[in-house]
Amino acid sequence: MNHCVVLFFQFCKFSVLCFGGGYMLIPLLTAEFVDREQVLTMSEFGNLLSVAQVTPGPVGLNTATYVGYVNEGFFGSLAASLGLIVPTILIGCSAAAGINRWKDTFLVKGMLKGTRLAAVALIMFAVTIFFGMSVFTQSIPWEAVGALFKFERPVLPEGFGLSPAGVLICGVTIVLMLKTKLPTTALLLGSAAAGAVLSAWF
Amino acid sequence: MEIQTLSGTRRLLLLYCSFFRITALVVGGGLAMLPVIEEIFVNKYKLLTREELLDMTALTQTVPGIIAINSAVYIGMKIGGVPGALAAAAGAVTPPFTVILIIASFFPRLDPKNRYLLGVFAGIRAAVTGMILVTGCRMFRRTVKSKLEIAVVTVFFVLAVMKVSPALLILAAVPFGWCYVWWQTRRLAQAEEMPADGKNASETSSSGAAPETREDGGTGK
Repeated sequence: MNHCVVLFFQFCKFSVLCFGGGYMLIPLLTAEFVDREQVLTMSEFGNLLSVAQVTPGPVGLNTATYVGYVNEGFFGSLAASLGLIVPTILIGCSAAAGINRWKDTFLVKGMLKGTRLAAVALIMFAVTIFFGMSVFTQSIPWEAVGALFKFERPVLPEGFGLSPAGVLICGVTIVLMLKTKLPTTALLLGSAAAGAVLSAWF
Repeated sequence: MEIQTLSGTRRLLLLYCSFFRITALVVGGGLAMLPVIEEIFVNKYKLLTREELLDMTALTQTVPGIIAINSAVYIGMKIGGVPGALAAAAGAVTPPFTVILIIASFFPRLDPKNRYLLGVFAGIRAAVTGMILVTGCRMFRRTVKSKLEIAVVTVFFVLAVMKVSPALLILAAVPFGWCYVWWQTRRLAQAEEMPADGKNASETSSSGAAPETREDGGTGK
């Protein structure tokens, strides 16, 4: 029960820091639950996000409920969902309704500018996390990338490489998103089917 | 039209049920909800005008929090005050909460051994990678307006790679944003002072934003 209270406040924190939509939760959640507390492995988190993505409902809320469940069962889910909602309601009831009135003031403008730049960077970081779970076979070896900048020969870890199925599905999804108006649901179902079929080959 | 004279409780029920339906049916992020919200609240019940919804959309993306919950709270508040916000948020949360709870009680750790099921997850992960990449690039194009800002985003990115906590990065971004906007307004003011033009007098100071920084131009004080 004590842990549920901790979970609630953790998700309150995520909610307050979540500028720029549900994808911003990815770096926040992985930093907390994969890197620091290690209640989830990266591949479990990836599977969990896949489920959250294909079930109805906002991705952020689905992910939060699932992470809460993995942590602490039913009450964990409850704590996580409430944690996401309560700050939003508090902000909504107090100040933010007037943000349209204040949006030209220095304080609001500066805050939005700064957090948006950080949000772009963190979403790009989330992309690299996902690259490690789909396009590559392992998470990206940043030590090797760092070595490139020091003009040293990068040492790739054992078993790191491109995953053919991942590259194919990711590429096709990007092209379809940019060129057609297919709904997200169709893309996700198609990629799920493609993944099952391709797993027979690779 | 009659809907606007609905009593308080009925109004709350309507909010709860509408948002229940929206999150039960819409797959994907909060922005995917927008067309459905427009259909229900603007076209069907006429509780919001299209302009109000547009304002709301901008607002839900500027305040922190998940866009879906933000929309529920702000639309609920607009239509039914604080109780309305609570009802709408509760409605938005109920379906995903229930569905995920059912799935999670069957597959708590999501660590399948079946090869095809693993394939399904890998497929969805790859698609999600593409989606986040496209979303991220769109955000980049909308937000980042100058070489300096590209540099700033790069620094934030490198810090994130170096395992600086994302929470800390966002918090640090706020004072940075203040300094940045202050510096920008000052530079803009100096640029306006330099060439002695008479054009300034005819225009009010608020409409005189420089063309290159349209979004965040010198509209300050």
